[in-house]
Amino acid sequence: MLTRIRDWIETRIGLNDLINTGLRDFRVPANLNIFYTLGFVTLTAYTVQLITGVFLLIYYIPHSGHAFGSVNDIMTRVPYGWLFRQMHQVGSNLMTAALLLHLLFIFVGGSYKKPREMTWVTGGVMFLAVLAFCLTGYLLPWNQLGYWATTVVTTMFTTLPYIGEVFAQMLRGGNHVSEITLNRFFALHVALLPLIFITFMIFHLFLIRRTGFSKPPSVQSVIEDRALTGYRREHHPDGYPFYPYFVIKAAFMVCLYFLVMFFILSFFPASLLPEDAITPADPLKTPAMIRPAWYFLAPYQMLKLIPNKALGMTFELLMLSVFLLWPFFDTGEERNILKRPLLRWVFIVSFLSWLLLTVWGRY
Amino acid sequence: MKKYVWPVLILFLYASPSSGGYRETFQKEFLSQPWAGEERIEESVCVECHSMEIMRPDFRKVVDEWKKSLHYYSSVSCHSCHGGDPKDPALSMSHIRGFVGKPLKKEVPALCGKCHVGIMKNYLESGHGKALLSGKGPDCVTCHGSHNIQKANIDIINDKLCSRCHSYERAMIMKQALFITEKKMADIGEDIRKLRTSGVFTGDEEKSIFSIQSEFRTLFHTIDVAIVKERTDGFANKLGLVEKKIKETFEELGFRRNFSVFLMILFGALSLVLILLSRSGRD
Repeated sequence: MLTRIRDWIETRIGLNDLINTGLRDFRVPANLNIFYTLGFVTLTAYTVQLITGVFLLIYYIPHSGHAFGSVNDIMTRVPYGWLFRQMHQVGSNLMTAALLLHLLFIFVGGSYKKPREMTWVTGGVMFLAVLAFCLTGYLLPWNQLGYWATTVVTTMFTTLPYIGEVFAQMLRGGNHVSEITLNRFFALHVALLPLIFITFMIFHLFLIRRTGFSKPPSVQSVIEDRALTGYRREHHPDGYPFYPYFVIKAAFMVCLYFLVMFFILSFFPASLLPEDAITPADPLKTPAMIRPAWYFLAPYQMLKLIPNKALGMTFELLMLSVFLLWPFFDTGEERNILKRPLLRWVFIVSFLSWLLLTVWGRY
Repeated sequence: MKKYVWPVLILFLYASPSSGGYRETFQKEFLSQPWAGEERIEESVCVECHSMEIMRPDFRKVVDEWKKSLHYYSSVSCHSCHGGDPKDPALSMSHIRGFVGKPLKKEVPALCGKCHVGIMKNYLESGHGKALLSGKGPDCVTCHGSHNIQKANIDIINDKLCSRCHSYERAMIMKQALFITEKKMADIGEDIRKLRTSGVFTGDEEKSIFSIQSEFRTLFHTIDVAIVKERTDGFANKLGLVEKKIKETFEELGFRRNFSVFLMILFGALSLVLILLSRSGRD
């Protein structure tokens, strides 16, 4: 029966040819380490978010009077609702972490260099989209944690000169976080952001297919053996086929991703559900210790430290722009960070500062 | 790279003057102050004046005591009991706005009874209430204090407090009658706290226990041991229902943990299979 179905499909779309050209003939460098699979892990993480998100969408009510209750119903009354909700919640944090690690690895490996500038930029935009996903998703349960964290983050924008107030008002739909904000964030979270993310993801994957996988910098000291004058894909004739070599490696990392997720669900299920997360939002009662989620802690703490808030916010946006357009600033051919002491130190200092600010912001 | 340095520098220089002096007052407040709200308290002119240095020490003490009370944490402010306009200094002590300063002893039950309706009713029907009307009995403040009101429990019935007016014996019998139900309520309260730290919303259980607790303590104010004993079974049944629900939630949490552990082991095993598969492929 299965053979007949396969033959039926084969006759019509040439499945074998598609698998051979798309997966077996597409080769990856021989000495890839597991960090190369982080992009694949992020892609899987997004798929998990999509599936669990659709499930939550069936029961969630985007209304300030019902949102908290509907999330509570998902957690207590819907069969296995707790699993989908907690997978979505823990998954959002793990996805952000995986994406951050992916970006770090690409940066350290110098894989953003010519001809992969567009791959970096699309990845950067996807990272911003993920942060926007997190920001908008944080408010949806309509609890104290989400309500006040959204208040803090949206107020951060108001410090920007001229456009800040307008932007924050547009985001919130008024001076305060309200029902309108919930509706806007819901629309962004379930409709607009997935569209943006998937569009950029397709483009990102297309670029990877067109340029091929980059070799580890230790193997190749300069970007190409000869100058890049026209389009040329890195074929890696001495490498291994994408399937099964890379796919097995990636599948292992995906299993590890789920292992971490279910470890958190098993032993620290309440780690993302503090007291304020199980208290309905109350615009008149500010919780004692309110702060944004961990991925926003570094910019939040930096803004607290810089006395002039507008200057601080401008500085942060400037840094973000430099980060997004980094391949256009760093145009040198040397990819190996070990041979670039200045870049190495810039990276170490930036990374440690981010870490320090995140921890500082937490306590 | 160098050609990008100038545009970046220009952009940065633009940002600096444009941001200089921008909404300074707001900036000073923004993020430099705790987000936690004491604003409602500061809004009250009662608190403002009573915190001033020129105020008599015993008047000033009132604010400090209230800030440690259950009323403070429940957002019950000065005007909730004493009336007046908490936003307007001129009308803050206006009798037109219902201001009552220090109430007379006989007026105290009515003042507290604005919120604690059931308790006032039972109290007025009790020996304590009747004695107050005759001018000798205790009012609410006698046992609970005035401004530093704490969450009451069974320990409020004690030798030191009760023997100020009468012998402790009768009070002790009442305490014994209350003990089982009070103990059960305390245990359930502890279970609810555990559930909350496990990330479970316990709004319904909290409401149930609050309602039972209020009803039970209302009953206590009759200071009639016979009534308390007669109705203890009824309260035990009600508490049993809440207890059952809490037990089910704990069981559900246990199931969730086991199920997650199962999935964790499943993916752990899959990882091992994939490692073996990748090694055999390489060989």
